[in-house]
Amino acid sequence: MILDANNLPENHALRASVCIVGAGAAGISMALQFIGSGIEVLLLESGAFEEEPDTQALYAGAVADQRLHSPPDRYRQRRFGGTTTIWGGRCMPFDPIDFEARDYVPHSGWPFTRDVLLPYYPAANRLCEAGDFSYTAAESFRDGGRPMIAGFDSAVFSSDTLERFSCPTDFGARYGERLRAAPNISVVLHANVSAIRLQPAGDRVASLEVRTLGGRRLAAQAGHYVLAIGGLEVARLLLASRDVQADGIGNQHDLVGRYYMCHLAGTIGALRILKPASSVHHGYEISAEGIYCRRRLALRPQTQRSQRLGNFVARLHHPRITDPAHRSSVLSLLYLAKPFIPYEYSKRLHGDEHGTLASWLLHLGNVVTGPFEALAFAWHMLRDRKLAERKFPSIIVTSRANLYSIDFHAEQQPQASSRVLLDSARDALGMPRLRIDWRYTAGDVDTVQRAIALLAAEFARTGVGVLDYDAATVEAEMTRYGAYGGHHIGTARMGSDARSSVVDSDCRVHGVDNLFVAGSATFPTSSQANPTLTVVALALRLAAHLSRVVRTQAAATAAATPAPPIAPPAGAPLAGALAAGATP
Amino acid sequence: MSLRVLVLGADGFIGAHLIGALAASDWATPTAAGRRPRAASAGDPIARLQFDATDQDALEHALQGSDAVVNCISGSGQTIAASARALLAAAARQSRPPRVVHMSSMAVYGAASGLASESAPLDGTDAYALAKIAAESDCSRYSEAVVLRPGIVYGPRSRQWTERVGRWLVQRRVGDLGAAGDGCCNLVYVDDVVSAIFQCLRLPGIAGQAFNLAMAEPPTWNDYFIAFARQIDAVPLARIGRRRLKLETKVLAPPLKIAEILLAKARLHWITLPEPIPPSLLRLWRQDMRLDVTRAEQLLQLRWTSLADGLAQSARWFRQRGR
Repeated sequence: MILDANNLPENHALRASVCIVGAGAAGISMALQFIGSGIEVLLLESGAFEEEPDTQALYAGAVADQRLHSPPDRYRQRRFGGTTTIWGGRCMPFDPIDFEARDYVPHSGWPFTRDVLLPYYPAANRLCEAGDFSYTAAESFRDGGRPMIAGFDSAVFSSDTLERFSCPTDFGARYGERLRAAPNISVVLHANVSAIRLQPAGDRVASLEVRTLGGRRLAAQAGHYVLAIGGLEVARLLLASRDVQADGIGNQHDLVGRYYMCHLAGTIGALRILKPASSVHHGYEISAEGIYCRRRLALRPQTQRSQRLGNFVARLHHPRITDPAHRSSVLSLLYLAKPFIPYEYSKRLHGDEHGTLASWLLHLGNVVTGPFEALAFAWHMLRDRKLAERKFPSIIVTSRANLYSIDFHAEQQPQASSRVLLDSARDALGMPRLRIDWRYTAGDVDTVQRAIALLAAEFARTGVGVLDYDAATVEAEMTRYGAYGGHHIGTARMGSDARSSVVDSDCRVHGVDNLFVAGSATFPTSSQANPTLTVVALALRLAAHLSRVVRTQAAATAAATPAPPIAPPAGAPLAGALAAGATP
Repeated sequence: MSLRVLVLGADGFIGAHLIGALAASDWATPTAAGRRPRAASAGDPIARLQFDATDQDALEHALQGSDAVVNCISGSGQTIAASARALLAAAARQSRPPRVVHMSSMAVYGAASGLASESAPLDGTDAYALAKIAAESDCSRYSEAVVLRPGIVYGPRSRQWTERVGRWLVQRRVGDLGAAGDGCCNLVYVDDVVSAIFQCLRLPGIAGQAFNLAMAEPPTWNDYFIAFARQIDAVPLARIGRRRLKLETKVLAPPLKIAEILLAKARLHWITLPEPIPPSLLRLWRQDMRLDVTRAEQLLQLRWTSLADGLAQSARWFRQRGR
């Protein structure tokens, strides 16, 4: 059922076996696993079905350097469905090397290998509506698909791995009805968790403080608690809950909020393909299940090891939109359409450059001189993106001149000084706001610089093209738009040693028996991959773990307790007590 | 001695499969009964009767030479209910009341959700479901009746769930339906239904029982569509959005249905229109009800054809039919 906290009585205690905080990709994926299990689950969501400015404003905060990081209320959504309501849908699993401890990547190494997560990836793929869990062209296409660049055969970069695209699926819209219909799942909207209350010994959560923006106070009590509130809010809530553990929960070793990573991304260079234009296919192919798939140029793991580089992928991209010299009517149309493109997308399309009247006129000239191309593109975007439920994922412009740029996406190394912390300012609920101090390292610059140099060398060696770029501008290009938006990683990192990690390999906060973290906050390293698919896979693994724990505990309790006479269920029976507040 | 089995609705999808299987067996002799005349083909060993199955006198006469009867009659609700009533009345008047295997449907459970066992309330409300419920009610008053409640019966010659779905997939009118296709698709391969009927004809001690029939781990409708689309090469699968489904079922379906009826009445069979997608299918494709088939597995000892095998057979037939 779906309830609204505003309709619940003051000081009401919500009770369940498992309480999940946050109805985004991780929280909803977890809750779905409990449907029909007989395990009572409470899913607390701060927002409602649409964006509400007052609720979204709870995300506001400060950033140390606005050039390097977007404001914290951007690229995330505080509402049912979470940031899946605005995500781009790019899915790919982490690579096996991402889980390894690599001596050239400080603080790297997960407490398990990819094999442990592998059983959960297919189901995660399914929840993301990304089709089969097959991420090579050979597996995904009967005929192997079209090569990205005919003749590019490299031992340094592979070009047969894929990224698959979700619709992009809004988890709230897609799975909300299933949750509403499930008798053992209670979703409570407008329920802001403002503090985690520990038992006096500090080793268990006693309850969660739940508040509404209307001033109502509630409590949530459960056997197990899961924070599925995104990489930034996890740190904020743990750090702000300090009534028993003075430095914040799980922060005995000053780790919460540190090791904050995003991804390093940018567009660079001019790649001139020396083969016929038809030898390049840098766009999408559609798999049998109807999924848009795209090849990438991926730095092979053996090269990462031998060259001591982080993980890195690149794609062929169109020239920079803002420069009208590209003479593309399509790109100029996109430039002129900037006011109609959401912030999260327009930033990387247009940057923060302020166009002049002259450049605006030049773009207009491009559109006027190529009206049919622009019209065909506009129709394609209307039909295949705006009106389609499975949306064409991005702008693909084929260059008649065989000219492209390189769009890269690289792993960022974890470092303690890159962090999120509590600010002195407070939000409408009295919670300290976040302050983000995102930093990158010389090692990050080195990964991108040398990976691009290797790519240029491979283009030259294979004779497929010439990549012309200024090596001195790599750092500027990889930070031109700051940290990649929306990928908030590492703030409650996972590990087996409590002195160097916040959660254990089961995503349980070290030292707190019944508190778990779901999401990218727990990733010790960032990979080249977008995080959502792995967030969901990890959430499914956590749901399976909690299901086992709850059943084991229930069995032990039943074995130890003589059968009582007919007893009421523990806690207030949610369905009955709150029926008045239930939405239909 | 061979069991003499009268099959009502023998020209229908299940009836035709059953007749073939009975004829191939070494323990039964089928008699096919149908409403429509059918030209006798040379060498056809199957005895055929033609009569209206709502005619009790005709049924009584037909039953005189039968040890058992299988009621596979489909059609309008009125036909289903009336033929069942006539059959059971006629059977009751036989000196040795024959075993009656009655083909009901999962439609009797209506809009139920979750796991539906045979003891779930019979809550169907549409005309088809009400007729099936009425027929089951008549069966309950006849001591030798066994009721089968199959889910979605598919396989070669299935007009509804193989041919029609295949055509819609080829036409990109169904595909990945998103949340609208999340319902449980209680598929049962037609040969498994025939196996269940065989057991019902032969096993003692099951009279008065009803049995759900569906594969043990059924797919969602979306899964069925993608799996079948792959088999018949109707890929890539289209994502069908909510707007498109509404257009199909709410706007296009009513006039298409009316046109279909008018064309049939006017005998203008050479005019072909797209087959309407009725709104009832939208409800079915979303319905999260799974048939509990434990009883059929235990008492009838049924083992279900895998989806891969069933689809391979279905696709072969669909391709041969030329879509």
